[in-house]
Amino acid sequence: MKEMKMLLVDDEERFLSTTKKLLARKGLDVLTATSGPEALEILREHNVHVVILDVKMPGMDGIATLKQIKRQYPMVEVIMLTGHATAESAVEGLKSGAADYLMKPTHIDELIQKAQEAYEKRQRLEEKIRVLQMRTLSGSPRHIIRESEES
Amino acid sequence: MKRSKATDKTNHYLAMRRLILSAMIGLPLALLISVLSISYYFFTYSIESGTTSSMVRIVEDHRHMIDTFLQERKADLVFVLRSYTFKDLSDPQRLEHVFEHLQEKSNTFVDLGIFNEAGVHVAYHGPYRLEGKIYKDTKWFKEVMKSGYYISDIFLGFRRVPHFIIAIAKEEQGRRWVIRATIDTYLFSNLVEGVRIGKTGEAYLLNAQGVFQTERRSGGHLLEKDPETLQFPARGGGIRTFVQKDARGEKYLYATTWLREKNWLLVVRQERSDAFKTLSTATYLVLLVSLLGGAAIISLAFFLTGRIVGRMKQADMEKRSLSEQLIRASRLAELGEMAGGFAHEINNPLQIIRSEQALIETILSDLKNAGELKESKDLAELEESMDQIRLQIDRCAKITQSILQFGRQSESSLEEIDLRAYIPQVTAMISKKASVHGIKLVYEISNDIPRVNGDPGQLQQVLINLLNNAMDAVLSRHGTEGGEITIGAFGRGAEKVVIWVKDNGIGISAENLKNIFRPFFTTKPVGKGTGLGLSVCYGIIENMGGTIEVESEKGVGTTFTITLPAEG
Repeated sequence: MKEMKMLLVDDEERFLSTTKKLLARKGLDVLTATSGPEALEILREHNVHVVILDVKMPGMDGIATLKQIKRQYPMVEVIMLTGHATAESAVEGLKSGAADYLMKPTHIDELIQKAQEAYEKRQRLEEKIRVLQMRTLSGSPRHIIRESEES
Repeated sequence: MKRSKATDKTNHYLAMRRLILSAMIGLPLALLISVLSISYYFFTYSIESGTTSSMVRIVEDHRHMIDTFLQERKADLVFVLRSYTFKDLSDPQRLEHVFEHLQEKSNTFVDLGIFNEAGVHVAYHGPYRLEGKIYKDTKWFKEVMKSGYYISDIFLGFRRVPHFIIAIAKEEQGRRWVIRATIDTYLFSNLVEGVRIGKTGEAYLLNAQGVFQTERRSGGHLLEKDPETLQFPARGGGIRTFVQKDARGEKYLYATTWLREKNWLLVVRQERSDAFKTLSTATYLVLLVSLLGGAAIISLAFFLTGRIVGRMKQADMEKRSLSEQLIRASRLAELGEMAGGFAHEINNPLQIIRSEQALIETILSDLKNAGELKESKDLAELEESMDQIRLQIDRCAKITQSILQFGRQSESSLEEIDLRAYIPQVTAMISKKASVHGIKLVYEISNDIPRVNGDPGQLQQVLINLLNNAMDAVLSRHGTEGGEITIGAFGRGAEKVVIWVKDNGIGISAENLKNIFRPFFTTKPVGKGTGLGLSVCYGIIENMGGTIEVESEKGVGTTFTITLPAEG
């Protein structure tokens, strides 16, 4: 859990700063952004595992940001932060690839738990990729010869 | 402004009234009158022409009869003339004999006389003493000597009694002699008069000067001048018919024609009102019908117009009240939507407060663990306060969540609902309000109750509505103590599930029970309640395939019973 890098995206500055402090106290590394473009900027420069994304933001809204993230950084897990439970935007978010959703106002513990789950999912995925890559490397000789002939 | 609106309204209704009235009266009356006028006109025409033609026929027949009479008398005398000589007839015995024969032919012969060339009455048989009288200068003698045949007008003569004569002249051995017979005027008059036409029909003869030759039934004696100035037609003309007022001012229908045998005018007349009696009956009938019909049309028109305008007013009023209710309902709906917006907005600061509170708690805990904070009463109070803040934030969150859930207009999503868990969830939403008002909530949910299929949000809406109504009823009766609401559910057989809400409130009157599920029906004062709740509930339960019923007794309480099909 300690390696998990998180990005909080919300247009409320105060919420970002306080939550960052709380999470830091729990030993978590958190970055913040107040808008979609800013979030994408940060993702470009840092290797982030889990993004907590507010659905309702001025300018580039949550869904659009989500789609961009999923397009540019498909391995990043996104958790939607929404006003009420089965709101259409959260549903749309889940359909567009969000891993989970949180209802405002959230408990900090719930937020951590869901982020954890998303991170673990990401871990498992990375594991599978590694295994697959390994298997490809140690494939049959005929397979390797064919591959080297093709490349 | 309000004033002029009201007068505008009354003017509008008055104008409508006038319009409808004029259409309802105008058209039927016009039709009635035109139909009656046309038929009356044709009827009048046919009656008049019928009466006139029958009059003409009567006149013709009558003239023919009178002419025939005169012809026969003339023929009688001609026969005598041919059969006897002057010498024969000059013998009084002979004359008497001949006269008796003549009388057998017709009893209108009064006397018989023979005249010589000089106008001397040489032989006479009759009731008067006329022998030897000289008639040389009399008109009739001059005429008969001139034309050989003469019928006189009525005149008095030597006998001073009105009579008329028929005289025929004969040439015998170079000398002329005349035979003359007197006709009984009264018998002749009876002959002429004796025609029956209606009640006032009469016939009489006038000479070329307009002097009565026969008696007239309605007044007019022999030798009197006809007081009416009739226009005498040209000789040889046919029968003339016309309507004219007589000397007394009565309108008569006249038919006149000249006799052929003598220049007498046969006048047949009948009082117009008598002649056209059917017509006057018809006229009265037509007038009566048009009056009655008109009255009926007019009164019906007024009655119907009153009803129509009344209905219009009523419809307008209903429309206005409906639109007022609609406005109220939509305002409340807007309010509901706004509430949703508020709840949403509030969630943001709530989120911040929560995270701030979490931070404070964490920092406090860290400080305590690091030993920088000593246990003290103040610290304990601080911690308790933080805890309270957390609790209250949770409470706010729940409130905003329930508002948002309630205001959502999503399509119904069918779910299997377990009432044992579901009903307490629903009542939790109003349990605080109930306890504040001292209302006891009782649950009677049976344990083995089958599930129902339905949209939990909509069923929640129904139950909350019933519970709110129950609370209002209970408050109205018990105030803040003593109220009790029971909510229960049980399965009936394996196919039905019954949910019921019972209260000991003020109850519903039988009158209102009839209308309770009607849209916009409410007994609440203006501004409180739209009257939509129960009608929406009714619709929701119906959609779920169930029924909703109500029983109530004023002053005792009300029970709403929902029956739903069971699932599985």
